[in-house]
Amino acid sequence: MDAQLLLSGIIFGLSIGSIFFLMAIGLSLCFGLMRVISLDQLLYYSIGGYLTYTVSVGTGSVWLGVLAGLVVAGITAFAVERFVFRRIYDRDVAFSMITTFGILIGGVGVIKAIWGLVPRPVAMPAGDQVDILGTFVPGYRLIVIVVAILVYVAIWLFLNRTIVGKAIRAGIEDVDHVEGLGINVYRLFTITFIIAGTLSGLAGGLHAPLIMVDPSMGLEVIALVFMVVIIGGLGSIKGTAVSALLVGQVMSLGSLIYAPLAQMAPFAIMLLILLIKPTGLYGSPLLKR
Amino acid sequence: MSPGVNLLEAQKLNVSYGEARVLFDVDFRIDDREIVACVGRNGAGKTTLLRTIAGFVKPVSGTVTADGTSLVGLPAYAIARRGVKYVPQDKKVFADLTVRENLELGSYATKDYDWDQVTGYFPKLKVLMDRKAGHLSGGERQMLMIGRAILGKPRVLLVDEPTEGLAPGIVDQLKEVFRDLSGKTALAIVEQNLPLVCAISTRIYAMKEGRIVAELPGAGATTPVECEQYV
Amino acid sequence: MFEAFKWWRGLLIAFGLLALMRVVVPLPFANEVVIFSIYTIGCSFLLGRVGFISFGQPAYLAIGAYGTGFYLFYFGTNPFVGLLVGIAAGFVAAAIVGPLFVRLRSDYFALVNLALAVIVFYLMQKVLADVTKGDNGLWFLTNIASTPVLDISRPDQFFIFATLVAFFVWAFYKYLDDTLFGACCLATKINEDKLQFLGYSNFKVRLLAFVIANTTTALAGGLYAVYLGFVSPDMTSPARAADPVIVTILGGAGTLYGPLVGTIAYTGMKDVISKLIGNWELFIGFLLVFIMLAGEKGIVGTIEPWLKRIVSRRKAGSRQA
Repeated sequence: MDAQLLLSGIIFGLSIGSIFFLMAIGLSLCFGLMRVISLDQLLYYSIGGYLTYTVSVGTGSVWLGVLAGLVVAGITAFAVERFVFRRIYDRDVAFSMITTFGILIGGVGVIKAIWGLVPRPVAMPAGDQVDILGTFVPGYRLIVIVVAILVYVAIWLFLNRTIVGKAIRAGIEDVDHVEGLGINVYRLFTITFIIAGTLSGLAGGLHAPLIMVDPSMGLEVIALVFMVVIIGGLGSIKGTAVSALLVGQVMSLGSLIYAPLAQMAPFAIMLLILLIKPTGLYGSPLLKR
Repeated sequence: MSPGVNLLEAQKLNVSYGEARVLFDVDFRIDDREIVACVGRNGAGKTTLLRTIAGFVKPVSGTVTADGTSLVGLPAYAIARRGVKYVPQDKKVFADLTVRENLELGSYATKDYDWDQVTGYFPKLKVLMDRKAGHLSGGERQMLMIGRAILGKPRVLLVDEPTEGLAPGIVDQLKEVFRDLSGKTALAIVEQNLPLVCAISTRIYAMKEGRIVAELPGAGATTPVECEQYV
Repeated sequence: MFEAFKWWRGLLIAFGLLALMRVVVPLPFANEVVIFSIYTIGCSFLLGRVGFISFGQPAYLAIGAYGTGFYLFYFGTNPFVGLLVGIAAGFVAAAIVGPLFVRLRSDYFALVNLALAVIVFYLMQKVLADVTKGDNGLWFLTNIASTPVLDISRPDQFFIFATLVAFFVWAFYKYLDDTLFGACCLATKINEDKLQFLGYSNFKVRLLAFVIANTTTALAGGLYAVYLGFVSPDMTSPARAADPVIVTILGGAGTLYGPLVGTIAYTGMKDVISKLIGNWELFIGFLLVFIMLAGEKGIVGTIEPWLKRIVSRRKAGSRQA
């Protein structure tokens, strides 16, 4: 395998991993703090993608579209938290999974009603190729990677340097103790949910130019995103980042070796990791409530 | 304040977990400057009583009032903000956070950023300030839990099994802290250590199978052996 | 004698009604309902009785279907033998992955099963494309030989056969509820520690339940293969992974007749809604949320107490008379 192919493969894998990472953070935080498996994050991803499409067609700017996408995704997440999640926090995980799956397909129905069934292409911004060590790679993919790194840093700062972030970390350990101190944990839940929805929207917006937006775009990545979260360990940001990188590379480099392997290999890895360590790479055994 | 003023009062409290009834018509009160102890065997419902007062368990029926206002139905954080705080028995501090961050959360909840009282009671926490709470010993964890709970000067502190599994030296230290604390904050303590209970408490409730079976005078008037009879 | 009849009465009524349905609805619809309800009962048992939610049921469905499909495409012509091969394939697969999966916590269990469905999907679509013909699927409708007595290569007689199979599957699950094993399943769902104290192994109970449920699912897959005369990877597409879960919830998880009622409602609504407003997802999505927020009892769970009240009132009335 020549070096150029390898390098572009790695960049491709990193950009895919970045998208997965952005979506997986939200799922991971929601599970860690609220113990809900929020399948509806996939809906906010689709919303991000579709708004990017509509706004970029209207204004010509994809970036404006991504911005609109993440804002609307965040607002939708807020509404869902208020009207649905508030009622299901004290139920078990299977319950939240089914309920949020209902929200997901209901939302897909809404998207179909608004935008129709036809897949829509989104123009690629920053379409220039960038020269890295003699290999030309698409500039847009590099931007996606940079955005993911910035988000990682921002989330890290938020969780480690702000009091709300510290309260969220404490809540991931034991939410009752946080509430016992007199902290309004429901506000923490709302904040976490909005962050998760916004990041899913961002992921959808950034992914849109690389794929076509279509109503079932969320359902298509659902398995992959969950795999990222599981390999990393539910509730761990660091684990999510590591596993997103891993999955991105496995998919991208795997396809260079033997194409059909690309889609299967990550799942095989997940099974393997779960059998060795049933809580994922960084999942803490303390997570049981 | 005159004695006899009911700071916190629970009346006819009934609690069930699913089908299983765990508290039966429990009456419980704490007055100002009191240290009320609650004794009984495992499963007698002591922890459930404290958790119900603190809002973590919703009662089937009955009332809980603090200064005459009802607490039933309020979320646990709102009850804590009204100055009724619960210190659980699991000694689970936020392990991934430093001692300082643990205290910061207590301050954030109550807007009380004055840590002098905490470090006054527990000078050891000063040196441990930047250590991860997960690396503390059992006694240090208990200090931290009580320390972060007394931020905001709560009216009532509900402490669940504070001395369980701790070294005698630390138990003595906690005893002094409780005595001193009761001047400002009334205490309700669930405890298995009967000599300690009889030494520091002003009143003792004995619980058995979800019912209060006796209310005994404290302050040395009841001996541990007498106390033992009721549990 | 009367006791035995009482035990069978509910089943006879339910499947009598199902057979009657054949008169009023088109045959493909009736066949779909019977097969899909067998597909769902495994999922309903796992969710309602054992407390495992699985988003990977299509994996076992496809394993059963491909087992039957391979036999009928490459080796033989007898559909009954084909079915047995499908069931055996499902049993073996469940027995292999079961010991690994049932150790996991329920949230991981759901997702690992989903992963298995994806793996099976790509196996059938790409990796084993030489033998599975990839997306084109295996077509063997003309290979299926006519069988004496009950010719299940004909859709109308297939319906009779499938209904009989379903009847015995339901009788089997009803029987399970009465056994000690059924009680153990409920116990492991409600309080695994207590079951351990009583001296039963959670692992064994769960494994047995898992194998039973997924062998049933493979049976449904085999029936699909025989009925449709072809198998394709589409059957195990991740996008359809939640169908049996939705039907289970719709009918009422863990209730005996939930899967049947849920399937009829689901298939019926899908037909009607798709024709009327053309936006099936919107409807079923919000219906699902509504059922969950309203107390997750599903159709059967809601009707059952109400039916029982009527029955008991009638009994009380006859006693007075």
